[in-house]
Amino acid sequence: MRLADSRALVPDLVTTPGEPQADHRLIETIANWCDRYTPWVAIDPLGGALAEEGTEACSTGGFGGDAGLLLDITGCTHLFGQGEAGERALLADLTERLARHDLTCRAAMADTAGAAWALARFAERQADLYCPPRGHREALARLPVEGLRLDAPIVETFLKLGLRRIGDLYPLPRAPLARRFGDQPLTRLDQALGTIVEPIEPRRTPPAFRTRLAFVEPIGRPEDIAAATSRLLAALCRQFEQAGVGARKLEITLYRVDGSVDRTSIGTSRPNRDNPRLMKLFEEKLGELDPGFGVELMILAAPEVETWSGTQDALPDSGAIAASLGEDGTIDLADRLALRLGVENVVRLLPRDSHLPERVQAAGAVAAPAAAGAWQRVAGMKGARPTRLLQRPEPVDVMAHVPDDPPSVFHWRQHAHRIVRAEGPERVADEWWRPRPDGSRPPANIVPPYRDYYRVEDDDGGRFWLFRDGAYRMAANGRQTARWFLHGFCA
Amino acid sequence: MPVISPSAFAPSAANDAAVPVAADLREKVRRLERAHSAQRAGQQAVSLGVPAIDALLPSNGLLTGALHEIEAGPAPSGRVASHDGAALGFAAHLLGRFGTLRPNGTLLWCRRPFGASDAPPYAAALAAWFDPARLLMVTVRRDEDLFWAMEEGLRCPGMAAVLGETRATDLTAGRRLSLAAEKSGVPALLLRGQPAPPQSVCTTRWRVASAATHSTPGLNDVGASRWRTELRRNRFGAPSVTETPTWLLEWNDETHCLSVVPQAFHGSTRESDARLVG
Repeated sequence: MRLADSRALVPDLVTTPGEPQADHRLIETIANWCDRYTPWVAIDPLGGALAEEGTEACSTGGFGGDAGLLLDITGCTHLFGQGEAGERALLADLTERLARHDLTCRAAMADTAGAAWALARFAERQADLYCPPRGHREALARLPVEGLRLDAPIVETFLKLGLRRIGDLYPLPRAPLARRFGDQPLTRLDQALGTIVEPIEPRRTPPAFRTRLAFVEPIGRPEDIAAATSRLLAALCRQFEQAGVGARKLEITLYRVDGSVDRTSIGTSRPNRDNPRLMKLFEEKLGELDPGFGVELMILAAPEVETWSGTQDALPDSGAIAASLGEDGTIDLADRLALRLGVENVVRLLPRDSHLPERVQAAGAVAAPAAAGAWQRVAGMKGARPTRLLQRPEPVDVMAHVPDDPPSVFHWRQHAHRIVRAEGPERVADEWWRPRPDGSRPPANIVPPYRDYYRVEDDDGGRFWLFRDGAYRMAANGRQTARWFLHGFCA
Repeated sequence: MPVISPSAFAPSAANDAAVPVAADLREKVRRLERAHSAQRAGQQAVSLGVPAIDALLPSNGLLTGALHEIEAGPAPSGRVASHDGAALGFAAHLLGRFGTLRPNGTLLWCRRPFGASDAPPYAAALAAWFDPARLLMVTVRRDEDLFWAMEEGLRCPGMAAVLGETRATDLTAGRRLSLAAEKSGVPALLLRGQPAPPQSVCTTRWRVASAATHSTPGLNDVGASRWRTELRRNRFGAPSVTETPTWLLEWNDETHCLSVVPQAFHGSTRESDARLVG
């Protein structure tokens, strides 16, 4: 029906423009909120929330295009009670809490996702919304065929043929049905009945380790949140110990009373299950969390864990071992620094076997320092090196007497440096065995590009490290030229 | 209350072993001076390896658990130095000396890069003073973060020394660093690329400028690095004859030792020469 027709029929009709994006955001928020029940939450792919703009949402229509959420609550109901009572309690809790946020919802629970989908939309009585274990076959039989998540033309044909209830399909021979309507009706039927597995794909990978703490009264004070985090952490660390793992990443999620969610995470350089140390890292981050009007539930999860390579303590003379493993607190310090400054800004320096000065020094992970003496070996093979190396060599203007001599004057940053003493050249050739940055290999039959390094001292006592990029070439004006660069500052 | 001058109890190193009373008295003076901080007592001092300088320093060395500042001085001609390579070398020497106290301890190096023409310290050269594998390099974007990272480092038990490279002058931050160092006994170093207005928080302040080297006779090669080093502030130390004691130091790249170049003698330095002056 068109808007004009509707207005003619009902003059005081209230209309608002459709906002698919806002609808989608809302359903995302609700899905986030539903993480409080289970980590396996998926947005119903058939619901209007995910339908592309301009295309028809599936079947029944209605506000929000019957957007839906699928929750896999396997193993989660014990938090609300034992057995069936727990399941019923969870369902009631979900509906009631959503109603408190002025969200009308119909939630159904059944053994299969297909059955729950059909019940939520087509169950006639409130009592039918909860389908007891193994009762979904009878429950489905009473529902209309629209409940099978079929394409609209197939449903229409079914209705024309007098197949009104899902139960009407049970006795039909399968082969003719498949020949007449294709795979869809049988697949959907089997999914709803549970003969075919229909996996729910969660929005976020559910973590293997997870603890939750619900509050009777919403909390909001930073001290309370810290205390709750500490309790969650203690429980999680016990889980780690039993499983023999340590956390590389931890994520804490606050569920606020207004249904919104706030989360933050910490990372560690190596598997960690030391409660006080992890708590110290969290203390840095907890300030960023906004409790809003109050927090009613907190969940602590470990999305990344690794096998814990624990260290034995109190070995005699273990000072060196402890230091190499970071037991002296270095790793903890690095974790704390990395949390605030970024992981890429807290590094160890690793030596690399290379002739190119800028390649010699590489950044490495904090937990894996270079072997003792590795640097001495690398440094011992080279000539005198500058104490500071420019990240990018800076071009300088140079005057040199004879092409192969060190320069007599060089200009750098609008300043002339007259060279009094010089040492060199030290020739550093390009490493022909290494592919170039673009992936190509340098041709083997030509002389590789090289640099001639000079250590020079100017008349003011400053010592510099210069290089000439390749040999002198004949320029257009007939003069010999070469490019010179400043690469470092010497002690 | 009687006024006791610390200098009265600062005899030369030779007397130290012979007269144990002197050491006791000096300890007493130190306690008097810093009565509010009990941690001060029992702090170690690390010899610089240059007897002439060590004689002026308290307990014949640089105190651990204190803040030491090193700034790059102007070039001999009076112009602003083009780089602080010499000051960095001297700072690395101090780091290396402090590192000997805890041979396995970490050395924390915090720095704030300066734009595109940034020149980070080069580990292949630093290997002359200490093993760069011990370094933990921290890059920050703001000076607040730099001081914070240094303070965190000073509280870490496995730390051998903490160095911060900055151009900022922050009196409060300096005071905090000084206190944190005092409490943990870990030395803190501040390396400044430019001379900064004097602040009264550090225990020693050094100004290091690059000086002309001495070539092999008949050649014009670059000799061993020479640094004109001024001790501009020397808290708890012995007073010197001149107001700011100044030395011309030479770093021998092969023997890895620092020595004083006699002012009148401009040849190469041998160990006997250094002793002659020291």
